[in-house]
Amino acid sequence: MALEKIVRKIPSSSWEATSEKLIDIVLNSPNAARMPSGLAKTILYYWQRDQLATEIGIQRLLEASTHIDLEKTIEVLKELGLQEVVAVLESH
Amino acid sequence: MIDFGIEFVPRDLYWKTTFYAIQAEKTGFDTLWITDHFNNRNVYVSLAIVSAYTDRIKLGPGVTNPYMAHPVVTAQAVSTLNEVAPGRVICGIGVGDRTTLEMIHVKPEKPLATIRESVKIIREITSGKNVKLKGTIFTISGAQLNFKAASEIPIFIGAQGPKMLALAAEVGDGVLINASHPKDVERAIGFVREGAEKAGKKTEDLTIAAYTSFSVAKDQEKAAKAVVPVVAYIVAGCPEAILQKHGISPKTATEIRQAIIKGNWKEAFSQIDDKTIEAFSICGTPETVVEKINRLVKAGTTQMVVGSPIGPNIRKSINMIAAEVFPNFKEAKTK
Repeated sequence: MALEKIVRKIPSSSWEATSEKLIDIVLNSPNAARMPSGLAKTILYYWQRDQLATEIGIQRLLEASTHIDLEKTIEVLKELGLQEVVAVLESH
Repeated sequence: MIDFGIEFVPRDLYWKTTFYAIQAEKTGFDTLWITDHFNNRNVYVSLAIVSAYTDRIKLGPGVTNPYMAHPVVTAQAVSTLNEVAPGRVICGIGVGDRTTLEMIHVKPEKPLATIRESVKIIREITSGKNVKLKGTIFTISGAQLNFKAASEIPIFIGAQGPKMLALAAEVGDGVLINASHPKDVERAIGFVREGAEKAGKKTEDLTIAAYTSFSVAKDQEKAAKAVVPVVAYIVAGCPEAILQKHGISPKTATEIRQAIIKGNWKEAFSQIDDKTIEAFSICGTPETVVEKINRLVKAGTTQMVVGSPIGPNIRKSINMIAAEVFPNFKEAKTK
């Protein structure tokens, strides 16, 4: 399933918390060097414009965090109670 | 009311440094310094990327040195940067980090003359002048940029010893005092005042920055643990007179420096105790660091530079500084 559709399963009330947790994964993962440079620049673009807690911002963060550390991303999404999103990611 | 600067070491991936830089701008930091060591990512590449993603914060090398980069190259780099970030560029210059210079057998000889001449060259070239100089260190028979710098670039001098502090006041727009302990900063500001007076300048016209090694966290122990590697580097390159003031033997500093050069981190870091951390860093909980910054402000600091490591978790520590430290020293941010 495309990331846009996966992110639509996250209620807007959880965007802020989801964004925060995904940023933590991206910044603090020992695998951070796996981040593609183009995606990093897109994330910086949205960060500068305060858009990382929007649908589009979370799409890019989720793309990055699954690329860098899928296991940790799933763990965090479970903690946030986003079971539907977890199910989709696990099925891929 | 004082300004707050923040220092980043481009040891991190470029996008992480840029992420934190954007965060620093958003949370109200005034100035951003990026260190210049050959073994980290390049300072000007890092600054160029940060410039592209920020709009307000002032930024520059903190500090570059004339032993690794000829002052005409530094002038060219900061002038180019000033096209990307017009009016926001500042240039920090000093003698450089002793440990990394030693790794490549570069000796920082005649530091006072070297810095004096470097500042003259950088200032004149960034002002669009054609520089001709027959100095003690540098000889230039005519050097001018083929483009115009967007605006004047203030020059800050990183200094620790009495003569360099006085020189910084004489030829610089600001001084970056390489110290964290209030007594060291107070003593340094005395030399800055003397230098300014001698040069017929007003101390109030200079930015006096305490360029500290800084670590803040809710947990004192975590804050202290994070600062150990940075303190080890500081002790390794510290002048003997300052070491002795804090009861640290030059022999210990040499041992730490040798261990770092050999990559024996465990050995280097194991020699850093609580007393050394206290002497060479601003470290602790938000309440503790506020109290320590207050002492630096009372000593005459006009810019507080939150230097590496900033904290055990940089993102959290930047937010902590904005929420719990700034309100004691700054008006609420507008953006």
